[in-house]
Amino acid sequence: MKKKILVIDDDFNIRDYIVSLFDDNGYDTYVAGDVKEGIEVAKAEKPDLITLDIEMPGEWGPRFFSQLSQDPELKNIPVIVITALSGHEHAIVKAVASLSKPFDRKELLKIVQETIH
Amino acid sequence: MAKKVLLIDRETDHAEALKTFIQRLEYDVTCADNVDGVNTSIARRTWDIIIADPFINDTMVDCLESIKKSQPLVQLIILAKRDRLDCAMETFESRAAHYLELPVNSKALDLALASAAKTISLNRRISRYSERLADLHNAQTLLSQLFEEVPCYISVQDRNLRITTTNKRFKYHFGGQIGGFCYEIYKYRTSPCRDCPVLQTFEDGKSHSTEEVVTSKFGKQYNVLTRTAPIKDENGQIILVMEMSTNITQIRQLQDHLISLGMMIGSMSHGVKGMLTALDGGIYQLEKGLSQKNDARVLKAFGQIQTMSEKIKKMVLEILYYAKSRELQYREIEVADLADNSVSTIKPMAEDNDIILDISMPENLGSIEVDPNWMEAALVNFLENAVDACISDRDKKELILRFHVTQPNDDEICLIVEDNGIGMDTETKNKMFTLFFTSKGSQGTGLGLFIAHRVIKYHGGSVTVTSQLGKGTQFSIRLPRKKPDNAKTVEFPKTER
Repeated sequence: MKKKILVIDDDFNIRDYIVSLFDDNGYDTYVAGDVKEGIEVAKAEKPDLITLDIEMPGEWGPRFFSQLSQDPELKNIPVIVITALSGHEHAIVKAVASLSKPFDRKELLKIVQETIH
Repeated sequence: MAKKVLLIDRETDHAEALKTFIQRLEYDVTCADNVDGVNTSIARRTWDIIIADPFINDTMVDCLESIKKSQPLVQLIILAKRDRLDCAMETFESRAAHYLELPVNSKALDLALASAAKTISLNRRISRYSERLADLHNAQTLLSQLFEEVPCYISVQDRNLRITTTNKRFKYHFGGQIGGFCYEIYKYRTSPCRDCPVLQTFEDGKSHSTEEVVTSKFGKQYNVLTRTAPIKDENGQIILVMEMSTNITQIRQLQDHLISLGMMIGSMSHGVKGMLTALDGGIYQLEKGLSQKNDARVLKAFGQIQTMSEKIKKMVLEILYYAKSRELQYREIEVADLADNSVSTIKPMAEDNDIILDISMPENLGSIEVDPNWMEAALVNFLENAVDACISDRDKKELILRFHVTQPNDDEICLIVEDNGIGMDTETKNKMFTLFFTSKGSQGTGLGLFIAHRVIKYHGGSVTVTSQLGKGTQFSIRLPRKKPDNAKTVEFPKTER
């Protein structure tokens, strides 16, 4: 059965890119454009992994972590942060990995594979 | 060296006898028996002692007076017969050193010569001292000029940090209060500064330097680089300390501009990173589309690459042409969203440090016209400052950060950031909005609150602060709901948030 990945990013082009990358490598993908939608999709689909952009309009990425950890069914889902921000280490300590934009495709796929296989 | 004696006597035998006697006493003696001889001798050399009978002819008195005038240090010993002695004394008074009766008593002559020799030595010493005193005076004038004109603020302080001397530049900018405390005059403080370099120099005798922000008598704040030097007495004990402060405000302003530039590049780089990622995505789609011979995917990828290259071009042009300053980008947003977004940024940090967040906002706060990016960055700065103040407090069992939003009137909103952390002393409170002032040592840059305060001011708002050391701090930020008429251009770039 295919592993499920939820991609949360407010930039359509980047979201589309990450989704294509995962689709082409045999994953099932789900998307969300903000934290609120991300939590809804996560609750509905119970993904095996989430990629998260921490800078988004509305609620900021770190809030996603706190909401995720409050839900017993979601709190153990690994999260990979993909961000263009720097100097916000305190916000991403709970992530399994953090990649800087523009990220290395192979590195992202390798981390995903190691995390959910 | 033998003292030179001119002996003036009309009687050759008597003169020779005297000469022999005086030579035996180790003086260099020359004889003259008339005015012409005396004039020739005078012209030839200078004399230490002249022994003469002023009454050998009619002109000798005038001749001796003239010698005494041209050589005031010459010691005059007058020889005269008993009946002329009083007349001689009346004529020369104190201008002659001794008056001896003819025929001369050898012992009296010996004593008169010894006394004259002693006076000559004394005169020479006094003359040398006078020369040195003049040199000293010149050196003192030069040093005093240097002290007054040197292009920095100089004060000399005693152990109680009372100012004992100041230079011209100091007096002009900080007043001439001799006897005042350094910390009062420089900083309007009531107690010495922490890590006072002057006290350190009194302690270890070494030079110390610090960077300070001082306030002039005109109320202007200057960044100064301060260096101290001990002043010791003849026993090597430090009695005073000199403090020299160089005004580096302009350098700091330049740094401010450079940092602004750096921050702007940081902000731009954030945007560029996102665009490069999307461009990467386009290239990936293009590769896949070509390898899969999927025209639709190729076309989509091409469109994406084109869009991204346009965006990057636009941004580069923006950097090139609009790098210097930007207008605040006002938008009408919900006050609740502004407050929520700001708090959510610091929430993880507060939670990680067991700080209780007490947030209260009435419903229907309505909207406000602000530049959301700038305003959020400013509020986050105040909130982060409160978190830091709590983290630094190691005494309290319960650390609380309160964030309250109120509506004091229809036109304004008030955001209150309050913590029960370490609090601030008066100096920190007075200077916290000064560029590069930080109370966090190497952990702080001195930029955060400076920028935050400016942002509030440019939005037409105000910040009031109350703080008590050990008890906590409250920032009360008032903001007008509507964009002010005189909305300013910010001279620093958009931050990353």
